[in-house]
Amino acid sequence: MAIQRITQNMLTQRSLGSLQGALGRVARLQEQLSTGRVLNRPSDSPTDTTSAMRLRSSLADVKQFGRNASDGAAWLAQIDSALTAATDQTRRARDLGLQGANQGAMGPAAREALATEVDQIREGMITTANATYLGRPVFGGVTAGGTAYDTTGTYVGTPGAVNRTVADGVKIAVNVDGQTAFGPAGNSVFDHLAALSTALRAGNQAGITAGLGSLGVDLDRFTTTQAEAGTRQKRVEYAQQAAGDDELKLTTSLSSVENADLPKTMVDLQMQQVAYQAALGATAKVMQPSLMDFLR
Amino acid sequence: MAGTFASLNTALSALRYNRVAMDVASGNIANVGTEGYARRRVNGETVGASPRPAMWSRYDGAGDGVAVAGINRMVDPLLDVRARREHGNQGYLDIRQKVLERVESGIGEPGDNGVAAAIADFRSSWHDLANNPGNDATRAQVLGRAATLADAIRIQARNVDAESGDLRVRAIADVAEVNTVASDLAATNKSIAIASLNGSDAGELLDKRDQLAMRLSELTGAKTSQRADGGFDVTVNGVPLVTGQNAGSLQIATGITPLGASDGNPITFTVTDSSGTTAVPAGMTGEIGGVTDLLTTTLPAYSAGLGAVAQQLADEINAQHQTGYDANGNPGQPLFSYNPADPAGTLVVALSAPSQVAASAIPGGGLDATNADALATATGVETSYQRLINGFGTEVASVKRLAANQQVLTGQVDGSREQLSGVNIDEEMVSMMSSQRAYEAASRVMTTVDSLLDTLINRTGLVR
Repeated sequence: MAIQRITQNMLTQRSLGSLQGALGRVARLQEQLSTGRVLNRPSDSPTDTTSAMRLRSSLADVKQFGRNASDGAAWLAQIDSALTAATDQTRRARDLGLQGANQGAMGPAAREALATEVDQIREGMITTANATYLGRPVFGGVTAGGTAYDTTGTYVGTPGAVNRTVADGVKIAVNVDGQTAFGPAGNSVFDHLAALSTALRAGNQAGITAGLGSLGVDLDRFTTTQAEAGTRQKRVEYAQQAAGDDELKLTTSLSSVENADLPKTMVDLQMQQVAYQAALGATAKVMQPSLMDFLR
Repeated sequence: MAGTFASLNTALSALRYNRVAMDVASGNIANVGTEGYARRRVNGETVGASPRPAMWSRYDGAGDGVAVAGINRMVDPLLDVRARREHGNQGYLDIRQKVLERVESGIGEPGDNGVAAAIADFRSSWHDLANNPGNDATRAQVLGRAATLADAIRIQARNVDAESGDLRVRAIADVAEVNTVASDLAATNKSIAIASLNGSDAGELLDKRDQLAMRLSELTGAKTSQRADGGFDVTVNGVPLVTGQNAGSLQIATGITPLGASDGNPITFTVTDSSGTTAVPAGMTGEIGGVTDLLTTTLPAYSAGLGAVAQQLADEINAQHQTGYDANGNPGQPLFSYNPADPAGTLVVALSAPSQVAASAIPGGGLDATNADALATATGVETSYQRLINGFGTEVASVKRLAANQQVLTGQVDGSREQLSGVNIDEEMVSMMSSQRAYEAASRVMTTVDSLLDTLINRTGLVR
């Protein structure tokens, strides 16, 4: 047949088909607008889905790294303030020792007073060494107990590193071992304070001088330890910053993969709606007339 | 010379013919919306000289009018064959698209509630435990997140299983429909044979035959061949299902129990007829072919992929967990347990007490968290899961595309059929009006002849 025969059924079905198609496109854009996402199921774009899943996974990691880093920073800040306090206390003890050393003609009562204050400082130092963060002694390593030192100044912690993962594969120790900061057993700052107190009571000049010397060593150790912990704190803070930046970057990337471009989608929707209305108008015009309207 | 009344008879034949033409037009108009109706067209032929009975016999008439030669059903058998093939392919792709889209929407990726999000949360909880290993709450959180992850995997596995169950029931229903349609077609074949013998109009029967054959093609991708008596023989993938008046019965031989459960074997079909039982080769198209492929290949492949993900997750986490020590200093126990026959469907958290979480790498109950830290990065299951989702998404996208393309093709073939067989109301109106005019003209011929005869009989010889 040379001329294509068109039947009313064909018109109806074609119109219905194109209306359905137009409505389908409107519905897809409407879904993108109302969910705000172009990626609503894996088959929308399998490659983008994989990217989105990877980005989401990285994003979760980076958020966690940020959390780890702020936790680590808090540990190190606690250590920093504890070491500052320990330095102050040691200085005070040295001052007392120097007083005892200079005034050789001091009476026993005056020396006793000095010795008592040194004892107080020692107890304060033990409290400082038992500084905790969220219930864990920061100088106690991985101990399950609540203290790093007992009341006699004996180390009761469990040596071990407390690490925080602050970036992929980057672990930073956020604790300082008690014996590194306060000196090894038998040669710790507590032993030195106890020895100084004994020497002051006894008026033992040689003992006082030796005690002053050892406290100087302790002071140096505190400073070194604090500097070293400070370096690590710097690293942790840097990692925290980097995690924040990464989170922003990844969120932007994820958004560019997953989310709908609103202005573009709006314009597309407008266009599709116009097309749909045109199709409706055309259908209404085409379906109406038949030969019947013109025959009498 | 023709007889005196010949013209009257000629006009009478025209009246009869045009009445038939109007009947056909009104039949077409009445069936304009009937599914499967092919428009009819009346064929006229002139009634004229009879074949010469003898050498000296001569016909000297001018034609004896018109007669109905036949009423044609406007169909093209080749186009019908093509349409049945395309509808078979369409049925195959449509069911695949529908089912895969349903499974896909149950996956929930990419999103905040899918398995990928649960894996990320699970990993986060290990970091939190590493930050705070002495706290029972963080330990309980690890177990909670592990349970959420196992649930997410199990729910997906269950979704796929439920879909398979629905499909098996659907296969049973489809097979039942095939058998009903096949026996209807056999009965129609019988009626067509009778009609062709006694010469009555078989148009309606042929319409019905075409519709039944189309439905069989949609369901099974069956092929048809026309018999000499007008009926259809139907073969399913080369195995005869309907032969003349005899219909075989399609049956599910293996793979699905009568109650719709799986019997563990691949799904196969047989056709049983009077000559015995024949196995249908694999590779049917149509809806049943789609269901079979989904049940045999697509859904099991996804289930197996999910099972591999679950197994990898459990094995890697368990292996690392068992190198650690729990809060009481005891060696770590496996965190997940599963049945190797169905890892995704049976994945559960094996530990109940938060203290059993082995965060420490050193024995003795300290607050070491090295193992928790290691567990946070112990599993590469995310990559495997992403690969699985990517593969599945690609398959769904491809099926959607194929189905859309096939839709266009099927639409075109249906359009061509409609072009030939569809009723155009304007056309029917025109043919009705031309019949009406022809009828009026024939009546006028009668009036004219009548008036001629009146003149001849009543007025001839009268002189006024």
